Amino acid sequence: MNDLLDLADPDLYASGRAHAVFHDLRETDPVHWQPPTPDRPGFWSVTKYADVNRVLSDYETFTSERGTLLNLLGRPDPAAGRQLAATDPPRHDHMRAPVQQALNARAVDLHMSAVDEAVNAVLEPVRRSAGSVVDLAAVFRELPLAAVGPLLGVPESDRARLTQFAEMCAAEDDPDVRLPDGVTATLRRGHRELFAYFADLVRQRMRQPGDDLVSVLVTMRFEGAPLPAGAIVANAYSLLLGATVTLPGVPGAVLAHLAATGSYRAWAQRPDLLDSGVEEALRFATPGMHFVRHTRRPVRLGRQEIDAGQPVVAWLSAANRDPAVFDAPDRFHPGRRPNRHLAFGSGRHYCIGSHIARRTLRLLFGRLLAEVSDLELAGPPVRVRSAFLSGLKHLPMVVVA
Amino acid sequence: MNRQALDLSTEYVAPRDPVEQQLAELWTARLEVAPIGVHDDFFELGGDSLLAAELQLAIDQLFGVEVPTWTLFLTPTVAELAATIVAELASA
Repeated sequence: MNDLLDLADPDLYASGRAHAVFHDLRETDPVHWQPPTPDRPGFWSVTKYADVNRVLSDYETFTSERGTLLNLLGRPDPAAGRQLAATDPPRHDHMRAPVQQALNARAVDLHMSAVDEAVNAVLEPVRRSAGSVVDLAAVFRELPLAAVGPLLGVPESDRARLTQFAEMCAAEDDPDVRLPDGVTATLRRGHRELFAYFADLVRQRMRQPGDDLVSVLVTMRFEGAPLPAGAIVANAYSLLLGATVTLPGVPGAVLAHLAATGSYRAWAQRPDLLDSGVEEALRFATPGMHFVRHTRRPVRLGRQEIDAGQPVVAWLSAANRDPAVFDAPDRFHPGRRPNRHLAFGSGRHYCIGSHIARRTLRLLFGRLLAEVSDLELAGPPVRVRSAFLSGLKHLPMVVVA
Repeated sequence: MNRQALDLSTEYVAPRDPVEQQLAELWTARLEVAPIGVHDDFFELGGDSLLAAELQLAIDQLFGVEVPTWTLFLTPTVAELAATIVAELASA
């Protein structure tokens, strides 16, 4: 059956069959070779929790400097060594420290009352829906930039545009996102628009630094010098993308599942399970489905011998449903403990925005569980067509106050 | 690298005024490609978005004006940039 399987095919994820395929691969072919096609090279895939965890954390064997997403496969990554996600330790760690400091728990604390206000405003259309159908996917799409816009230093008037360009960079295969000129043109346009936007912002912050993340990137020192402008812009781009495209996928996937299985009330009645429920939501949704690494030397993974220089795709979404680690992995269990999910990755590249993401999701779910007594699907949820991004683009729902 | 070694979609047109000439020299220094035609696309010449961000700052300093960044990212030719720079200089 595996002859026809293509893990790079966005339709596999749009169809909702991906988890069944991952369960099958994990059992029968946990280190899977995906043969090349005329459009892209072949690649290895790992689906077991232990293998995914190893590929992500063993940076001495698996480098991040030759592209970290499937849509870059077979092309050199111009950001290698200059953008956090595309730089290996030890240089990665030196570049990361100042940015990390600006995003650590204490720094994020200072922003939380503003984020709370933003979350509250994002939920206004849900309150106003008063028994009529509301598309929760559209509501949650506003969430990331409302939460991280002030932190990044992005004015409110630019948010909608930036969200749209970020989607072009991460969900370029989706027919609602893709430009008429095709996938490559879509990626290129979104990418260049965001780079141009941040190049302007960097120029402003060089004149007048503020207390936002772009200013941190502009004023920080790396290897004894300021970061070059290209590295500043590439990191700002990556921070924006990391936040905007992924976060909405978490409440979307979870509420769709809870409504479909009639289990929303069970969680809403247990406010003590907010924090563990948010972790479970992250595990269950895993909005960023994969990261790519390349072998630096020959390595044995499972029963496979892999040559040096080969792409290996670590499927976080598969690892987070591995029954060897999570009992009944396809069930949403808000009280699940322990819950060492890999939704934020693992190792040195662990999501730098994890604090603000967690805090934002707690505020969001906290308000929803307190204000909404039940949910009912008003039509089928529609998945994003993407091999990277797991999310919903439509989630029609009737909300009971 | 010689321009002829690249697979470009444009014919070579030499710089026609001092602003285009200075820009072409700047591109040659950064891209290590010569000669640069005024209608050549920065990205086809081997440029990437990181280099574009750096070139942008170099252009600011060289001409003393701030060219809108979308010029370099979305219409990335010496001719387009030169026209924008001349317009900015005139309105400054």
